[in-house]
Amino acid sequence: MYLSLALSLGDFTVKLAVCIKRVPDMEGRFKIAPSGTGIDEAGLKYDMSDFDGYAAEVAIQITEKLGAGEVTVISIGPDVVQETLRKALSMGAHRAVQLKHDAPVSDGLAIATALAAELKDGGYDLVLCGRMAVDTQNRSTGAFVAELLGVPLISAISQLNVEGGVVKARRELEGAYELVECPLPAVVTIDEGIARARYPSLKGIMAAKKKPLEVKPAQLGAITYSLDKMELPAERAAGRIIGEGKDAVPELVRLLKEEAKVL
Amino acid sequence: MTASNGIFALIVVAAAGFFASNVQRLVAYLRIGRLDDSRWDDVPRRVANLLTIGIFQRKIFRDPIAGPMHAAIFWGFGILSAGTVEFIAAGIVPGFSFARFMPQWAYRFYLANQDLWGALVIGAVAFALFRRLTHRVKRLQGAETHANDPLLILSWIGALMVTMFIDQAFHMVAHPEAATPFYRPLSYALATMVAFVPANAAAVISEIGWWAHGLLVLGFLNYLPYSKHLHVVASLPNVYLSNTNGPGQVGVITYMDLEADVEQFGAKDVEHLSWKSLMDGFACTECGRCTAVCPANTTGKLLSPRKIIVNVRERLEIRAPEVLMADGGGQKADARLLLDGFITEQELWACTTCRACVQECPVSIDHVSVIVEMRRNLVLSESRFPEEVMPAFESMEQRGSPWAFDPGDRGKWSDGMSIPTMAELHARGETADILYFVGCMGSFDDRAKKTTVAFAKIMQAAGVNFAILGREEKCNGDPARRMGNEYLYQMLARENVETLEKYKVRTIVTACPHCMHQLGSEYPQFGGNYDVIHHSTFIEHLMAQGRVPLRHDLHEAVSTFTYHDSCYLGRYNQIYEAPRETLKRALPVVNLVEMPRSGDRGLCCGAGGGRMWMEESEGKRINAERADEALATGAGAVAVACPFCMTMLHDSISARDETVKVYDIAEVVADRLA
Repeated sequence: MYLSLALSLGDFTVKLAVCIKRVPDMEGRFKIAPSGTGIDEAGLKYDMSDFDGYAAEVAIQITEKLGAGEVTVISIGPDVVQETLRKALSMGAHRAVQLKHDAPVSDGLAIATALAAELKDGGYDLVLCGRMAVDTQNRSTGAFVAELLGVPLISAISQLNVEGGVVKARRELEGAYELVECPLPAVVTIDEGIARARYPSLKGIMAAKKKPLEVKPAQLGAITYSLDKMELPAERAAGRIIGEGKDAVPELVRLLKEEAKVL
Repeated sequence: MTASNGIFALIVVAAAGFFASNVQRLVAYLRIGRLDDSRWDDVPRRVANLLTIGIFQRKIFRDPIAGPMHAAIFWGFGILSAGTVEFIAAGIVPGFSFARFMPQWAYRFYLANQDLWGALVIGAVAFALFRRLTHRVKRLQGAETHANDPLLILSWIGALMVTMFIDQAFHMVAHPEAATPFYRPLSYALATMVAFVPANAAAVISEIGWWAHGLLVLGFLNYLPYSKHLHVVASLPNVYLSNTNGPGQVGVITYMDLEADVEQFGAKDVEHLSWKSLMDGFACTECGRCTAVCPANTTGKLLSPRKIIVNVRERLEIRAPEVLMADGGGQKADARLLLDGFITEQELWACTTCRACVQECPVSIDHVSVIVEMRRNLVLSESRFPEEVMPAFESMEQRGSPWAFDPGDRGKWSDGMSIPTMAELHARGETADILYFVGCMGSFDDRAKKTTVAFAKIMQAAGVNFAILGREEKCNGDPARRMGNEYLYQMLARENVETLEKYKVRTIVTACPHCMHQLGSEYPQFGGNYDVIHHSTFIEHLMAQGRVPLRHDLHEAVSTFTYHDSCYLGRYNQIYEAPRETLKRALPVVNLVEMPRSGDRGLCCGAGGGRMWMEESEGKRINAERADEALATGAGAVAVACPFCMTMLHDSISARDETVKVYDIAEVVADRLA
């Protein structure tokens, strides 16, 4: 666990917010919806985006270690996102907010605007987001939220240390790492390696049923771009077995020369 | 009534009273356990278990050396107890004798038996002491055992017999007129040896023997509750109340009410276990038959089923008095709980739930239910489990399979085989006689898919009208349930029952013993009642009816097979013969050789109880142990009837000897289809 804490508390109660996205199971077989601008949702299973799960875990561990504080999980979307929020509550988050919006949105800035509107007067010390949503992989929402709130951002962190009103974080680079720090309040986006999302216990699931889940309309920002078209990559041609052993070599060489044109 | 009769009467009353108060205390201990009222039904079956397993010592005789030894002591004890009753009554009421209530011949027969069994018990006790003191019998060793207790108990029993004979023999010397040479032949023989002792001295020695015997009997009775030999009192009731050999379905895990408004799921301490699991602790005499057959223990893991049961009793003796105190017994802050304090997580996760321990236990102790209850606490209350299991749990929940495959690909193995799904038939207003429940291994694992195809081909060749569920099929939930994740299990079980009910399925075949056990034996807990047939039984049946067309003109490359028993097919469902019979029918010239551990003593492949998804770094791998045993038979091929056994043995055998192949019985048959 790459998380250390030395919050000098006194009567100070840490307030943490985690932004969560509900995404389809990446092991599923995707089809494009007839609209051509989204995936066909039939038969797909949905769950919390992996990085958001790590973010929720980190936030929950912070309050567990302090024995104080509150974790609020926030998600934008139709009522089905309540299921994902409940999962975060069953992991140990304290309360949840659904910013209700039924149509799909792909504009990160519009989403960040709605999140920032909810976060701005909440008195949060630290906002945690996943490094990216595993489905759309835009990597933009966390950064937009920090900008809109006017607080520092440390992105894609793999270690976190909150100490005396300062966030110290580690970021993985190619073959190296860097240590970054900034004052609270701040936004961090979470990379893998920091903590694995826990498996909710039945106790947690039961407790989650009684935790508050608030539903508010999402105050989305203006849509500045839209998704025009989505396509699957062309299917690869099937492989061919031309024979076995050395008898097959001349034919292989011929095909590599004439068809594949690599020799 | 003489003064000595009066003194003896007082001692008897005091001893009986002390024993009764101890029994009351121990019953109160059991009552701190969880309510479990599934123990009072099916009286005929329970009586049958009491007679066969208890009185006739069926499981005791599975050990050819200790078996007869124990049976001699046990039966001797039963018969001599009648003599003890007469002895005590005569000690209080002078001149009391059973002879007053019996015909003379019956009384003489009874007397002769007292002598005969007394001698047999002395012989058995002497042998037992000799064995313990001179041979380090492996299964009797173990850090959790009370090593001196058996020596004390055996000596005590020996002393009981010796004092009985001293009293009898010297009584005959003192009162030659009352001697009964033919009805107490051994006592009489002893009396002739000590006939030189003067009559008045003999009377004194007899009196001393009599008092020694009386005090030893009453002392023994009162030592039991403080010893592992509480076994003597608890084991017969334990056999009667046990569900390990029925009533009900064998090896079924208890239903758990997840909606119940409780703080505690599963067992973290003794009061969370069923009272019957606590009683198992009283019945155990640390014989170690369970640990000696445990696949985890014998391959060097920490888990010992005996230790689990011994720990339950140890902790109960500490915890019960706390609970029973007037204030309801708050948990002591420094108390070592059953979990972590006595039994570690490492031990609990090593269990393959193969039931070899339960099968072997002569007093029907159910070790596996303690382990599963404790796993339930770990998963449901504390979310503590080996981290490599998490993807399996998540995938079962997300995709209905412990592996990350697309549910839409579940029926892909059947492409081009013209096998309808229930949904397709339903859409056409048709139905099938039989549902083939393929299971996750059979649907997604490349090796197991060959078995799936083979079995489907056999059914097609035999003209069986069957269908599959395709993408609507989900994991039966067995791994989740055995790993203690009852929440996930019930979710899957309910979804499957709903699907099966939708298509009004009644008869199901499957090549996976875990699917079979769940659908057939555990789904009734969710209102799903199906006739579930394992493919070994089904194929055998089809072959017996002559419905499987086979070629008989083959020269077999492999002439010797050995068959590996699946735990969930064998010990859980008592199917031992069908797969062997199928092999013999498919291969009339084949020689079937047995491994040393086969049938109900079969060694687990190592995959059960969720072990399939856990690392195995402690000791020797169980599948390696089994591979060595299979290869030692010299067989050219190994047959299995379970996809989990297949993958475990395929891996370990191919790593050792590439020439020895592992086949599912369906593949053997399908290979010979005409």
